[in-house]
Amino acid sequence: MKALDNIEVAAAYVDGKAFEITPGETILNFTKRTIGEKQVPTLCDDPRLKPYGACRVCSVEVALKADGPVKTIASCHTPVTAGMHVFTQTDSLQKLRKNIIELVISDHPLDCLTCEVNGNCQLQDVAADVGLRDVRYGNGDNHLSREKDSSHAYMRMDLAKCINCARCVRACDEIQGSFVLGMEGRGFESKIIKDNDLLFGDSSCVSCGACAETCPTAAITDRFQSKALQADNTVRTTCSYCGVGCNLEVSVRNNEVQSIRAPWDAEVNQGHTCLKGRYAFRFYNHPDRLRTPLIRQGSKFVEATWDEAYDFIANKLEKISKNNGPDSIAGISSSRCTNEENYLMQKFIRAVIGTNNIDCCARVCHSPTAWGMQQSFGTGAATNSIEDIKYTDCMVVIGANPTAAHPVTGAKIKQQAMAGSTLIVIDPVKTELAELADYHLQLRPGTNVAMLNLMLHFIVTEGLADEQFVKTRCEDYDLFKKQILNIDVEAMAEVAGVSADLAKEAALAYANANNAMSFHGLGVTEHSQGAKTVMLIANLAMITGNIGRAGVGVNPLRGQNNVQGAADMGCQPHQGAGYLEVMEKETQDYYANAYGVASPTTEGKKIPEMFDAAIAGDLKAIWIMGEDVAQTDPNTAHVIKALTNLDLLVVQEIFFTETAKLADVILPGASFLEKNGTFTNGERRIQRVQAVVPPLSGSKADGDIMVEIMNRMGYQQPAYAPGTMLEEISRVVPFFAGVTWQNLGDHGLQWPVLKGGVDTKILHSKDFKRGKGKFHYFDFEETTELLDNAASFPFILTTGRNLEHYNAGTMTRRTHNAAIVDKDILLINPKDAKAKGIHTGDAARLFSDRGEVEIIVEVSKKIKPGVLFTTFHFPEFMVNNVTSNVVDSETMCPEYKVVAVDVERLAARKSA
Amino acid sequence: MSQNISKLSGRKGLENNLFEKITAFAEQQKAPTGDDMGVLAKEFFVGKSTIAASTTFYDFLSEEHLNKQALVCNGSACLCAGTQERVKAKLAKKVAEDEIGHITCLGRCHENSSFQLNGKNYSGDAIDHLDEILDDASQHQTAQYQTAQYQTDSYDITSDGPALLTAEFSDIEKIKHQIQQFLNRTPEQLVEEMKVSNLRGRGGAGFPAGMKWESCKSVVGEEKYIVCNADEGDPGAYSDRYLLEQQTYRVLFGMLAAGYIVGAQYGVVYIRAEYPESIAATQQAIEALEANRLLGENILGSGFNFKFKIVKGAGAYICGEETALIASIEGRRPEVDIRPPFPTVEGLFKKPTVLNNVETFAAVPAIFELGGAEFVKIGSEHSSGTKLLCLDGLFNKPGLLEVPMGMPLRKVIDDLGGGFAKPAKAIHIGGPLGGLVPVSKIDDLTVDFESFAKQGFLLGHGSIVCVPEDFSLIVYIEHLFAFTEAESCGKCFPCRLGSTRGKEMLQRAISGKEKLDPELFDDLLDTMQQASLCALGGGLPLPIKNALQYFEDELSDYFVAEKMAPVGSVG
Repeated sequence: MKALDNIEVAAAYVDGKAFEITPGETILNFTKRTIGEKQVPTLCDDPRLKPYGACRVCSVEVALKADGPVKTIASCHTPVTAGMHVFTQTDSLQKLRKNIIELVISDHPLDCLTCEVNGNCQLQDVAADVGLRDVRYGNGDNHLSREKDSSHAYMRMDLAKCINCARCVRACDEIQGSFVLGMEGRGFESKIIKDNDLLFGDSSCVSCGACAETCPTAAITDRFQSKALQADNTVRTTCSYCGVGCNLEVSVRNNEVQSIRAPWDAEVNQGHTCLKGRYAFRFYNHPDRLRTPLIRQGSKFVEATWDEAYDFIANKLEKISKNNGPDSIAGISSSRCTNEENYLMQKFIRAVIGTNNIDCCARVCHSPTAWGMQQSFGTGAATNSIEDIKYTDCMVVIGANPTAAHPVTGAKIKQQAMAGSTLIVIDPVKTELAELADYHLQLRPGTNVAMLNLMLHFIVTEGLADEQFVKTRCEDYDLFKKQILNIDVEAMAEVAGVSADLAKEAALAYANANNAMSFHGLGVTEHSQGAKTVMLIANLAMITGNIGRAGVGVNPLRGQNNVQGAADMGCQPHQGAGYLEVMEKETQDYYANAYGVASPTTEGKKIPEMFDAAIAGDLKAIWIMGEDVAQTDPNTAHVIKALTNLDLLVVQEIFFTETAKLADVILPGASFLEKNGTFTNGERRIQRVQAVVPPLSGSKADGDIMVEIMNRMGYQQPAYAPGTMLEEISRVVPFFAGVTWQNLGDHGLQWPVLKGGVDTKILHSKDFKRGKGKFHYFDFEETTELLDNAASFPFILTTGRNLEHYNAGTMTRRTHNAAIVDKDILLINPKDAKAKGIHTGDAARLFSDRGEVEIIVEVSKKIKPGVLFTTFHFPEFMVNNVTSNVVDSETMCPEYKVVAVDVERLAARKSA
Repeated sequence: MSQNISKLSGRKGLENNLFEKITAFAEQQKAPTGDDMGVLAKEFFVGKSTIAASTTFYDFLSEEHLNKQALVCNGSACLCAGTQERVKAKLAKKVAEDEIGHITCLGRCHENSSFQLNGKNYSGDAIDHLDEILDDASQHQTAQYQTAQYQTDSYDITSDGPALLTAEFSDIEKIKHQIQQFLNRTPEQLVEEMKVSNLRGRGGAGFPAGMKWESCKSVVGEEKYIVCNADEGDPGAYSDRYLLEQQTYRVLFGMLAAGYIVGAQYGVVYIRAEYPESIAATQQAIEALEANRLLGENILGSGFNFKFKIVKGAGAYICGEETALIASIEGRRPEVDIRPPFPTVEGLFKKPTVLNNVETFAAVPAIFELGGAEFVKIGSEHSSGTKLLCLDGLFNKPGLLEVPMGMPLRKVIDDLGGGFAKPAKAIHIGGPLGGLVPVSKIDDLTVDFESFAKQGFLLGHGSIVCVPEDFSLIVYIEHLFAFTEAESCGKCFPCRLGSTRGKEMLQRAISGKEKLDPELFDDLLDTMQQASLCALGGGLPLPIKNALQYFEDELSDYFVAEKMAPVGSVG
């Protein structure tokens, strides 16, 4: 061995060889880094979890100096120190490890050959590695007769195979933060439990699958046997549910998806995902999938070939364009589709049809965010990255329920709050995070502006404004300050229904934090003052200097997998691909040059304007790709009236949705599992989507459909391939300049991506995109929905998503998720329930000025008196029958979150 | 090892303590239902599983235990004394058989025949007065004084040398004066005094207390804790019980001083539920200090704030291990945590914490009174001060001893203990995980950490249990394995599985079913010793190996003939 004296850097030895050490790392990580993975065996270690020290298989021998006395210690939880001599493979260690595994196997079934995880079992690997052949302990007490628990829609537990490493318990705690799993009893009788030892199916398990993911044996698995070695191959792709953008690894056999896991190395999700991403994929080849183009004949649809469908559409569109002009045609694109498909859709509408009438579902969710943040900062996207949660001291979550709607990000926020960062929740609903929060400002729906003005007011009055930041980086502050000091504090507190003191405490907590981060969702945007609220959130960040470094910023939680991308790609009427203003001559020339055809010069219509124009007879045709506006847009009657008044409605869909039912032509598109391209998540990360299986027979990837129709209508668009598409996009969209299919790699790149592939984790670190950050002031204004209707409809209905279902439920309702949650429920405060004589389980009639629906009720303290809450996942319950036409003043995003309604009991709960 | 649960529990802290809420169910003689767990889970933002994991860990919260009227001590001393069959038989005449359970060590090792009946501890000849005890309990629920005579035990307290722990320390005025004196000095001066005294932790590991306190003092943090480990679970030990009941102010004084030194505001005395008298005495002393304004805000005008809380255990030996004890207070499943981080950095509720044994804190008044420099002169070179020893009922003079460190063990056994009442072949010193010292080695040992370590034994907490000549050693080591199996937290694989397999092997050997495979038995002991996470699984092999080494003749019958287990080298 070398003498220590010769070492100049801090180093330690592994089996006689010196390596530099990293401060704080464990011996196990040190050996992994220096001599490779699996050189030191482990069972209870999962690098994503905190060191635990249960299995002791990772024991190594350590001497503190050369030839010093040797001690056997567990490497997973012992820090390496300079000069340490670590021995990983001595005879006595081999024997020790073998002896430990022998003890483990003495209480483990010997049915490897028939076990689900045969060949993919860490216990099996380690047992083979240490050379265990037989167990000498004879017939002792054991747990081999424990019964398998198959009670859950997805999860499976077979404790006969459990080795008590507690990785599942720790994953449930340290990753998901749910504490559903625990270790009951002590000693030899310790046992993994769900809740207070309930069956999986009866427990509060959220089915994230983190336990199955980490379990080293077959003790916890799932209905898809995702740890079995059954796949022909695996494909890495990006989840198509929410905007978190989890990486998935999909197993395929015989051209069929077998199961989905989450890659542990994924920067976005580190092996974690929710039940939607991991388990809710069986919709993709569901019998309900559309498998052929359909053309309406009278009240029926008849099957057609693709050629027939394209010809039908092309003829109609050409005729309409000729007779009524291109502006009588519109397109609605989909945030569920890839960047490339969205780019093609807007290109088709702009370059082939010749109109700016292109919008997408961002209109109904985050258009106020994109627009509002552009006004304040110059960029309509999250300023920071989700990994920044680790570095923040304070989080304010406004109008969002991330543990349900963005589960992986929600789990990270929850972890950071549990670790001690301050959590402020501004929400009318007592969400999971609100329960945990240091401050829950449970305001009346629709009063965000009042609440944020209060907070901004107190930050100024308490002298906590970051004068330096405001002076050097922002503009219009002095005017703003004057206005914010003038607000009527008591009146605003009264409006919001939150005490001014609580608002003040929360404001001070945010302002006093070293690094404070904000997150917001549709509870901010889907209001008549939605865009204004976004700008006030931007004020909050600017006035406290929380911009431009790790752990701060304004971070909208984008609802759909590619809502960021759809806007980036130009699926909005006022801005083209890359957010260039289409009414500007320069832009028109730019796109004319890029697309090779003249640019449209008239203003485009936003979705609500399209519907109004259709009813007025000015709009004749709409092409909708992957969006069920008839179920999801507000005021259903109004939407249906518009769609049925068209000469042509083309719907590109995977299922026969409420909207498809109204179409003249239905084109069967494909799901994310069947296509290539990219999605951009809520932190501007462009990630690869890779086809796992070919499109279902009869269907086509939506990008192929767009390319084919473009060519059919005389535009030469090369065949759809992500590589070539990205090449085109990178020439058009400035912040995609350096993006290529190759350099996206496994983890994607966060835009702006400079030439050469350098990406950007944090925006506005030196200057704002628009130069100076701009302060705006807005007075609180009561929504006309309440001014007009509150007298007759005294309750406020607000809506949100649950964990199990995704928006219209088109996909999730066609998976086992429907076995977990099978209906929408209306929450009503106990006080109101009593007054109305309503009990949990009763059916009720919910009605507004627009219409009515029937719904089952649950009495709940999650909402205050006067407020009702429901989800909107099931078409049987068309909540949009009651929603209004009120929209955001700046962006026309519908005000889903404040609906004046009343409720009455219909029938008592049916006894089970 | 859940940082989340520690911190979530820490949000409510000690004032609204999760563990206390869990153990409250035991007070009401019921195990919490699923709904009860749901309520607690919601309040503390944890899972029902969190509550269930904690609840099901403890003996006193188990359905089985809650149904028992009588609990017979099965600790080592009572076992070796051979008194417990009789106790059980006598109880069975008065109490339904299925209402008799067992409990491990009531700290009545000096007179044995120990049992608990209707929540009260008895020993000695109390078993012969069951009629009176039960009559009184049934007719005069509140008139406890009548049975008090049977509940109390008495033992000799002998000090040979300076009485640093056993001298009278109860005059509140004098105590006040002494508190005033240390408050007049700076924490820096006091921690130096502690370091100079070279007081080593009396819980068994012997870590220098001054260093520990200095380490905690140096950690920046507004919220710190002092925790006293009064979970004296070693069968055979009752010295902590003595200190808690008869020298309470010494213990509290030590904790108060530690709080002043490291900047903590809260002291927790974690007392095992098996010691109801200790809990009562400590409570009384705390109240007296409060009444004299020696606790609370701005103590004696010093600006120093401190208060105490007693946390009562619920029947789990492992809670004597420091990380498990912290987990217990937090309401987590009290399994052993990895170190580092050490409690001085991340202790109770993940805040810097000084955690010491009762006897360690109790030594502080003497150190402050004498000065560290004088204190260090008492005892041996590396083990300063005095040590309490507990002699069990097989000595002619059972009871509690205070001796200067370094005293020859022979003097303790023969002079102070008066020799064995019946022939003994070994003495088990330092609890179940301490060394099994054959009587032939007594002359080689002095009462200090170094001497025991050098000879391949362990001084531990200083309990001394005699193993009589006529007591089967194979039965004794099976008892040790069974104890470990019953008390293993179950976290680390070697202890959870090894203690069960070892017990099974020994039971098969005792019953004659199957002799021990020496190689396998040796592998098992090595595996537990080398790889266990804490001193329970890791410590058990020491007395077993001692037995194999020194009692080869007696034990060889139980092994497969060819070869005796190779004994580990000493030291």
